[in-house]
Amino acid sequence: MSLPIIRQLSAEQKKARHRKIWLVPLGFFLFEVIWMLWILTTAHAKELVTGYLMLFYQLPVLNTVILPLMITVIASRLSDMEIKGDTLKLLYTMQRPAGFFDCKYVAGTKYLLFFTAGHGMLIPVYGKIFGFGNPLKISMLFSYLAVTLCTSMILLAIQQTLSLISNSQFLPLIVGLAGSFLGLFSLFFPAPVARLVIWGYFAAFPRVEMDWNRDTRIIQYNEVSFPLYAFFAFAAAGIFIYGICRTITVKKEV
Amino acid sequence: MSSVIMTDSLTKQYGSKKAVDRLDLKVPSGSIYGFLGPNGAGKSTTLKLLLGLIRPTGGRIMILGKEVNQKNRLSILAKTGSLIESPAYYGHLSGKENLRIICTLKDVPFQEADRVLKIVRMTEQQNKKVGQYSLGMKQRLGLAAALLGSPDLLLLDEPTNGLDPAGIQEMRRLICSLPEKYGITIVVSSHLLSEIDQMATHVGIIDHGQLIFQDTLSSLHEHSKSWIILHTDNDPEALKILKQAKIPAGRRDGKLVLRAQKDALVAEAAAALVHSGIGVLRIYEQQMSLEDIFLHLTGKQVSL
Repeated sequence: MSLPIIRQLSAEQKKARHRKIWLVPLGFFLFEVIWMLWILTTAHAKELVTGYLMLFYQLPVLNTVILPLMITVIASRLSDMEIKGDTLKLLYTMQRPAGFFDCKYVAGTKYLLFFTAGHGMLIPVYGKIFGFGNPLKISMLFSYLAVTLCTSMILLAIQQTLSLISNSQFLPLIVGLAGSFLGLFSLFFPAPVARLVIWGYFAAFPRVEMDWNRDTRIIQYNEVSFPLYAFFAFAAAGIFIYGICRTITVKKEV
Repeated sequence: MSSVIMTDSLTKQYGSKKAVDRLDLKVPSGSIYGFLGPNGAGKSTTLKLLLGLIRPTGGRIMILGKEVNQKNRLSILAKTGSLIESPAYYGHLSGKENLRIICTLKDVPFQEADRVLKIVRMTEQQNKKVGQYSLGMKQRLGLAAALLGSPDLLLLDEPTNGLDPAGIQEMRRLICSLPEKYGITIVVSSHLLSEIDQMATHVGIIDHGQLIFQDTLSSLHEHSKSWIILHTDNDPEALKILKQAKIPAGRRDGKLVLRAQKDALVAEAAAALVHSGIGVLRIYEQQMSLEDIFLHLTGKQVSL
């Protein structure tokens, strides 16, 4: 007999009461709102002509720095209540460990979806406000959001696993923080090495290239095609990583 | 009396160490089964094996008449409640909110939370955050959680651990009242012999992962041998005289004892000593205490 998933999700919802977890993605979202506002208000009028391209070039880099931190905090907030309260030995008498892991993951993913959706709405809103010259390509927006969400979800699986198998939240927080730095540095690594750093994948599927002319000191953004198959391979690897994370958590004796 | 729990050669091995070694438990229906053993004897491991929290290396488990496997584990455990090692709780939620989470997972109505809160006498503290509860209140909340859904079987691992004397008594009273009031079978583990003595109807003693005794509590008491102690004004001389008279006597813990309890033999020994001019100061019977039995069975000093 397996417990209906809806009841398990409802239990996760009840557990999150009073935790104010939604403040975490909201806080990071507001940070991005302010950061984008600053970028756009300080940009030259010429840059605003290609405003969307500029955002799609810069946002993935920003995500590489801040999203691992956000995901770490969300996973930690959702999981440390189980560790502190020593609840797993009770929960596992009512639900399968794998089911528990899945529902906890869905609970975390919900915040990532809200964050990503907010992001998706913010970009065209800024485009309107600042009167970007070029039109917004929906395919570009969706590919950007898909990469952001997919990378976030893979990192969530890793962080959730660390938070559930560690007796304190120190290790997951250190890993999240280190991942953030490593992700950023990986953008400067040779491609084969950078491919090994999951935290850097926010910026691993660029839709925009920057061309900076040393003589004229003019920056030009150019659109490039989306590496769809590479992205699918990454998503498949993500499913595999999720499976490993789930197995590690399930195998841990409580 | 049918058995609610039966295990057959239940074994759990970590590397070369057997934490539980070929355990054959039999927990009769409606009993309070005291699962007794020194710290590290394998009590918690056994309870975790019963709940499927860890997988056995070998052996079988039958709960409520069904053999437990990974497929039916949860449906069988739906009729059980447990409190393992320490109470499980969400400190940021109130007692009632905690119970409602378990109601959701057990698919029982929220009114059940009110019912069990009454049983453990926690209705007044139900809206307080559990993080602010004392350990005793957390334990009672843990027991309330275990009682949700009116289980047929309760597994309680050291439920009085860390409680003050008043809390221990309260918890003990609660546990003792459950089989009669609600028809629940209870397995309660403890390293405290006195605690089991005051609660249990049946006892299983585990040591080094092996079950070394299993029967009713009264049967355990029957194991207690009695001794006739003689206090004289010259014990060494008295012993010599008794031996010469071929009366079975000896020394135990420095005291002169008769190894048989027949009245005629006691009278014969007293007469022999008096005729030999030994002053008999006192003659009394001493029973082997439960602590002595435990020590005898496990070879270890017991916690009192």
